[in-house]
Amino acid sequence: MTDFMTGAAQIFTLATLAYMLAGSVAGIVAAAIPGFTVTMAIVLTLPLTFTMEPLQGIAVMLSVYVGGYTGGLISAALLGIPGTPSSVATTFDAFPMARNGEPGRALSIGVWASFFGTVISTIVLIFAAPPLALFAVRLGPWEYFSLIVFALTIVASLVGTSAMRGILAGLIGLAISTVGTDPIMGRPRFDFGIEMLQAGLPFLVVLIGIFAISQLVSEVENADSVRSGNALVTGAIDFQTWTVMKEVLMRPVNLLRSSIIGVLIGALPGAGGSIANLVAYDQAKRGSKNSEKFGTGEPDGIVASEAGNSATAGGGLIPLIGLGIPGSAVDAILMASLMVHGISVGPRLILDHGDLVYGMFIAMVVASFMMLIVSIFSMRLFLRVTEVPKWLIVPVVMTCCVVGTFALNNRVTDLYLLIFIGITGYTLRALGYALAPLVLGVILGPIAETNLRRALMTDEDPTLFFTRPISLIFLIAAFVSIVWAVRSHLKNRTSTERPTHAPTS
Amino acid sequence: MNGHDPMKSQEAGLVARLLSYVFLLLASVGLFISASGIATSRFEKLGAGAFPKIIFATMAIVSAIAIIDALRQIPRRAYGDFAAQAVAWAKRCYLVFVCLGALTAYLLTIPLLGFSIASLIFLFVLQVILMPRTPKSIALAAVVAVVFSFGLNWLFAEVFTVFLPRGVL
Repeated sequence: MTDFMTGAAQIFTLATLAYMLAGSVAGIVAAAIPGFTVTMAIVLTLPLTFTMEPLQGIAVMLSVYVGGYTGGLISAALLGIPGTPSSVATTFDAFPMARNGEPGRALSIGVWASFFGTVISTIVLIFAAPPLALFAVRLGPWEYFSLIVFALTIVASLVGTSAMRGILAGLIGLAISTVGTDPIMGRPRFDFGIEMLQAGLPFLVVLIGIFAISQLVSEVENADSVRSGNALVTGAIDFQTWTVMKEVLMRPVNLLRSSIIGVLIGALPGAGGSIANLVAYDQAKRGSKNSEKFGTGEPDGIVASEAGNSATAGGGLIPLIGLGIPGSAVDAILMASLMVHGISVGPRLILDHGDLVYGMFIAMVVASFMMLIVSIFSMRLFLRVTEVPKWLIVPVVMTCCVVGTFALNNRVTDLYLLIFIGITGYTLRALGYALAPLVLGVILGPIAETNLRRALMTDEDPTLFFTRPISLIFLIAAFVSIVWAVRSHLKNRTSTERPTHAPTS
Repeated sequence: MNGHDPMKSQEAGLVARLLSYVFLLLASVGLFISASGIATSRFEKLGAGAFPKIIFATMAIVSAIAIIDALRQIPRRAYGDFAAQAVAWAKRCYLVFVCLGALTAYLLTIPLLGFSIASLIFLFVLQVILMPRTPKSIALAAVVAVVFSFGLNWLFAEVFTVFLPRGVL
């Protein structure tokens, strides 16, 4: 209870609330711009939070996160272009509804569904994370190593178009993590005599290069689309805020089901908002009495998609807080930001830094309220955001990336690293490698290595990985996920692979 | 679709991926050998080189499987078309190279010109290259360039006390 009060006291200060408000606005604006993903927005927020208190910084990033899931709705509903991969299913019904002359209603339904989705997922998070952490502190290095193997294989097989390239991407990430001194004895590895590499590749520079630079560059692949502007839905927009709230609440089954789907998918490593919205939409369609209306502007479709994707925010925090294992790229960034402040993330987080964890729960709820308030009062303004042309966004965000990279360590050499990693990231993206497994590999690599070596230092017997029951379960699960991925790969063999690029958030 | 054959460019994509697998295989074998040279202390069963060796061995196996898989998928004619398709792709995506080139030049000139001036030039030039050029959009680009170069520098120095590179000039 003391922890809860301390956490609350840190969140409810004027400065924190003001920063969080700015974060909500930034998240909504960023995600409303087609091509600007939630992940990118959070990556860019990170350097700004270094000077803040740990909880304050994480609260701001959560606001960007929650806001971002809503912002994707704006371009999805009005332009029919998902602003982020997590709002793909939103376009199915919100766009037709907007086209049928009810753009305000479509947006309001989405905003309310997002709000309730986030709140429901936070409630689940509050009840699920502490018991998971209590269970996790009893795990030894064997279980931990097996858990990470499982997390990486499932990420690799779920994300992107090809399990094979997903696994390779994860391995590249792990390989990147081995550059620099080794985590146990401090022996130098793979620095090739270059001074810059001796301390290892800074995770955040890798993150900015891999996600932001490669995404920005891929936005200009099509020269015609860069030079043309998008037309916005015109005409009067009536938001009918309160009527719509009742309308959304009148669909409790759909709302709850979609949120729970979002939480579960969010808690699964690798799967996130980009999958949850489609699954929730599909389930809502199956469960609906008028399923034939889906795709023509059915409110249930919007509710399902938006509640589903927003609920992954809370779901993704469950393994992060409970186990210290980030489930998605965004959670990896949140974890990195805590590590920058010297807080080690693991199952002991909730025991050692209870105020921080409770503060995060409170921040989630506050962030969703802020998102709601900001959306209701300034939706009209955000409509203009979707008009920002790509030729302006790409150079400006690149400059922000450069500032962010430099501000991390005040090192010019990091900038050279940024361009190298950016080019590598774009090459991988163009070749259809999913980037999320790579990033998770980079952050999980040292944890996996430490646990593996610690396990063998404690007891030289390597069979313990297979004889300790929990460890065995994780390894079997990892094996099953690979077999499953290979099977679906063989099934799709006849149908040719599409050359589309994998979504990255 | 700009007059290009989607089928052929898809096949060229498969060849490009095959090349990436080959690269990964060679790199992982090379790094595996280099990891074998890392000394192990006698106090531990697994030395500093063991974990990298596991990773590179797995990577070599997976990329070898990927190579075999890709070789079976790619029709023979695709190899002959590859060079032409790659050039066609590069032409279609020329703006990608322009952006990466501009970014590289920008990052290399920051230590020389300082953050503000280098950013001003980078922002203005890249916007002008990418935009449909009208007097209005050029004026907007100029304003944006000033705000996100000198403005950002001021914000970081005054608010966050992070001093961006000043340059030697």
